[in-house]
Amino acid sequence: MIDTFALALTHGLLLLAAWRLFRRDDLDSDDPGRARRAWGRRPDA
Amino acid sequence: MHDLGLIGFLLILIGLGFKRPFVFVLGYVYVDIVSPQRLSYYLLNSVPVSLIFFVLAVIGYAAMDDKSGARLSGRQAVMLLLLAWCGYTTLTADFPAAALTKWDWVWKALTFAIFLPFTLRTKLRIEALLLFMVLSAASLIIVGGIKTLLSGGGYGALDLGISDNSGLYEGSTISTVAIAIIPTILYLAKYGTVFPPDWRVKLFAWALVFACLLIPIGTQTRTGLICIGLVAVMMLRETNRRFLYIAGVGIAVAAAVPFLPASYTQRMQTIEGYKGDASATTRIAVWRWTWKYVQDHPGGGGFDAYLQNHLVIHLSDTDKALGGSETVNSVEYDKARAYHSAYFEMLGEQGFFGFALWAMLHLAGLFRMELLRRRFRKSTDPGEGWISPLATALQHGHIIYLVGSLFIAIAFQPFVYMLVAAEIGLDGYIRRTRPRRAKRPMGRPLPTPPPATAATA
Repeated sequence: MIDTFALALTHGLLLLAAWRLFRRDDLDSDDPGRARRAWGRRPDA
Repeated sequence: MHDLGLIGFLLILIGLGFKRPFVFVLGYVYVDIVSPQRLSYYLLNSVPVSLIFFVLAVIGYAAMDDKSGARLSGRQAVMLLLLAWCGYTTLTADFPAAALTKWDWVWKALTFAIFLPFTLRTKLRIEALLLFMVLSAASLIIVGGIKTLLSGGGYGALDLGISDNSGLYEGSTISTVAIAIIPTILYLAKYGTVFPPDWRVKLFAWALVFACLLIPIGTQTRTGLICIGLVAVMMLRETNRRFLYIAGVGIAVAAAVPFLPASYTQRMQTIEGYKGDASATTRIAVWRWTWKYVQDHPGGGGFDAYLQNHLVIHLSDTDKALGGSETVNSVEYDKARAYHSAYFEMLGEQGFFGFALWAMLHLAGLFRMELLRRRFRKSTDPGEGWISPLATALQHGHIIYLVGSLFIAIAFQPFVYMLVAAEIGLDGYIRRTRPRRAKRPMGRPLPTPPPATAATA
């Protein structure tokens, strides 16, 4: 019960953090204009 | 259900990583700390999760990341040397089979720590790494904290979710690490941008700090108590209202003592009466043995060289039944006792050279953080307000580790190497984004000063 609560809470927060990081361009470059393109995406996309 | 949840979690991380490969790095950090494959009953425990994330992280970095300005720092070079040296001592180890088992995880910890700083290219990545380290450790700490509140715990008895007593799940290790991350938790609660500070973040952070403080009580480790004392003293250095802080700590301690379990207070009292305590006296005997051993084997005996020790332990205790005046001496014999200290672990296993590399790595980290802390302490640039507090938090965590590891053999604890990597990453980030103006070489004349605008004579 306690184990499940702690795991659910921390994993929920980790997922939320990962999602918020995913949506931020400054994760990959402090200057978002220079952010690299994603795999498989055309440079102009 | 439990297993499916963990698998779903890992799959989401992998999915996000294909657009933002740094998520793979974060995934590896999570897997290394939490070991979800050990929490799992059937599906995950046969999959090399850690290897998968490591390979993805390296490929992601190699294929997609910006590498301009990246260079091997001095501390990464030291870790590379240490890795090579450990490889050599493993080949020539006194106990080749045992040494190989430890080498199996040590090389991974060192390799990842050498790789990690290259990926820490932005401020947000450094924050993300620390956030993942804290939240991953929190999954053990929250379990431990709640169980301590409910049951009081016990030495070697606090169940953190799995019965395995290795990695961070070991009592002394988690109690040192839990205290060492307190400064980082407080930093994230104040300067975090992924979870910007609001009342929920503050509430969670303070509840987590409370859980961290409960871990040494739950695991009843004396090292943890020493670390708590240390963190209280170091935070004094950073507080503006010192008297208020001291009064607050005093009231908190006075309020907490009546609630401590009796078994805990009894065990803590043995810190002063260590001569009658077999565990503490054995440590000193092992340390003596190690010091003698390394004189004969300056290159160290390879991992787990302690297996060959034979100890004679002299115990002396004051007999309470005789009015406390008679001292009772006894002798115990022991063998193959572990080092119980990272410093002696390094000396015995890696010899003087390995110890010197290890000490250099950690002292250089403390020194570099002190330089950053001072350089940016008075910065008025709003974009630089986070640098000095982060350097301070990392340095404080590092000091707590170095003190805690006086009594625990955690010289290669992967969590700590991630902390070291975060320090190197911060250092490299500052070097790239805020280079110091070049100093004038000796002997070269000063640049011509601008003409004076007004005579002051």
